[in-house]
Amino acid sequence: MNGFLYGVALQCKLDIRSKSLFVTCYLVPLLFFLLMSGIFTSVMPEMRNTLIQSMIVMSVSMGAFVGLPPTLIETYGGDVKNVYKANGVPVCFGLVTMFLSSFVHLMITCIVILLLAPILFDAALPAHLPLFFLALAIYIMVSLSIGSILGLTVKNQAKLTMMAQLVFLPSIMLSGIMFPIDLLPGFLETAGHIFPAFRGYRLMLDHGFHFENLWYLILTFCMAVIICGILLKKQKSK
Amino acid sequence: MSSAIQVRELRKSYGSHMVLKGLDLQIEKGEIFALLGVNGAGKTTALECMEGLRKYDSGTITVNGKMGIQLQLSSLPAHIKPMEAIKLFAKWNSAKIDYTMLNALGIKEIEKKQYLQLSTGQKRRLQLALALISNPDIIFLDEPTAGLDVEGRLSFHEQIRTLKAQGKTVVLASHDMAEVETLCSRIAILNNGNIVFCGTASELTDKVGKKYFIHIKTQQEDCTFETDNIEDTLISLLCELKQKKIHVSDIKVDRGTLEQHFIEMAGREAE
Repeated sequence: MNGFLYGVALQCKLDIRSKSLFVTCYLVPLLFFLLMSGIFTSVMPEMRNTLIQSMIVMSVSMGAFVGLPPTLIETYGGDVKNVYKANGVPVCFGLVTMFLSSFVHLMITCIVILLLAPILFDAALPAHLPLFFLALAIYIMVSLSIGSILGLTVKNQAKLTMMAQLVFLPSIMLSGIMFPIDLLPGFLETAGHIFPAFRGYRLMLDHGFHFENLWYLILTFCMAVIICGILLKKQKSK
Repeated sequence: MSSAIQVRELRKSYGSHMVLKGLDLQIEKGEIFALLGVNGAGKTTALECMEGLRKYDSGTITVNGKMGIQLQLSSLPAHIKPMEAIKLFAKWNSAKIDYTMLNALGIKEIEKKQYLQLSTGQKRRLQLALALISNPDIIFLDEPTAGLDVEGRLSFHEQIRTLKAQGKTVVLASHDMAEVETLCSRIAILNNGNIVFCGTASELTDKVGKKYFIHIKTQQEDCTFETDNIEDTLISLLCELKQKKIHVSDIKVDRGTLEQHFIEMAGREAE
């Protein structure tokens, strides 16, 4: 196994050991899923058709905006990156391994939700599973890329908690996963469109895999990759 | 002996503050070389420029050999275990793990612990192991014994001597003068961005001049006197104490440590 693959496998292991990532990628999303799914399906039985997508958007948002950035700060906000540099490891190594590791953890959580929701809450399975998984993969990548910007920009955990909530809460509240977005005032509805959760949610719905939803996510991802590249270059050239 | 590192006219500024003002340095292969200086003298900046971790404004640096680096401020992910970190960096550098070296550094004893559970000494040992993983020719150690207890320091000194015996070049930045005096073949004193002295410890003592310290312990208090003329000062001090009928319980004379010479030289340059 080469250094890169060993690094990814090691990062997955470290994420499991780290309680904070376990809490934000597994514990809280799955508890939220169990609790809110029970409430939603009893108050609004029609939510069974979109329950899986709603709960996945919530889980991915939590893992990407609240779970990933603190791990990045540990490496890039502190002295870990210096050890990487001193030992000939590229400065992007930490970001890439953490990104891939978080992708794996979030995908596992989403699969658990996908498997449990129909059994526990009679939720409808997506009609086209391959297309659903493609949409899910795209949404996870976009969310993680935004989480990566947070982790590379903010230098301390206290500020990060605040910044992460500024992205996480509107993503959940304004994306239409908890209630129809057209019930919101006009300006909030428009604001909701800015957050990738709005498009990601629609992309995962049956018959939602359209360019109309896709272009914004691809554009966001590309921009985030460029920003991360610039931020890493700044870290490298001190 | 050919040189391992050559630094010529090295300049580095942070904004308007010039930290290195044309540094010239030559470090020979197989020697233990110490870079000394007060806080903010530019030791870490100079080392990081040599290590290739920091960009410099002008000058040339030639390094002949593979480098191993132990940084002053370094850390690892909190939950990583020592052997995982060693394997990771060995794989990146396509290096074979030297288990004899790891055993000598006591890595086996701590292999089950996570990084956040290690003591300062254990962290330092692990960082040294990481610096040595690619079997480097030149090893940079930036304040390697800071925060270590006596036992930890002695064990570290032993490791550094082993490296010298293996023919490695060791470049050491330190505040601990006793450490430098015992370990290093040559020392350079960095002050205000320039090298103010480069030579052996005894050459430094000669340059600063012969100075004696007389420590006298009486029933009332402990006193230290500084003098160039040991005989006259000692006789007059003892006569004075006898006249005043003060009982001397202990008396000690020494020539001062490298630390005292260093502080004096740094102070003289600052003036």
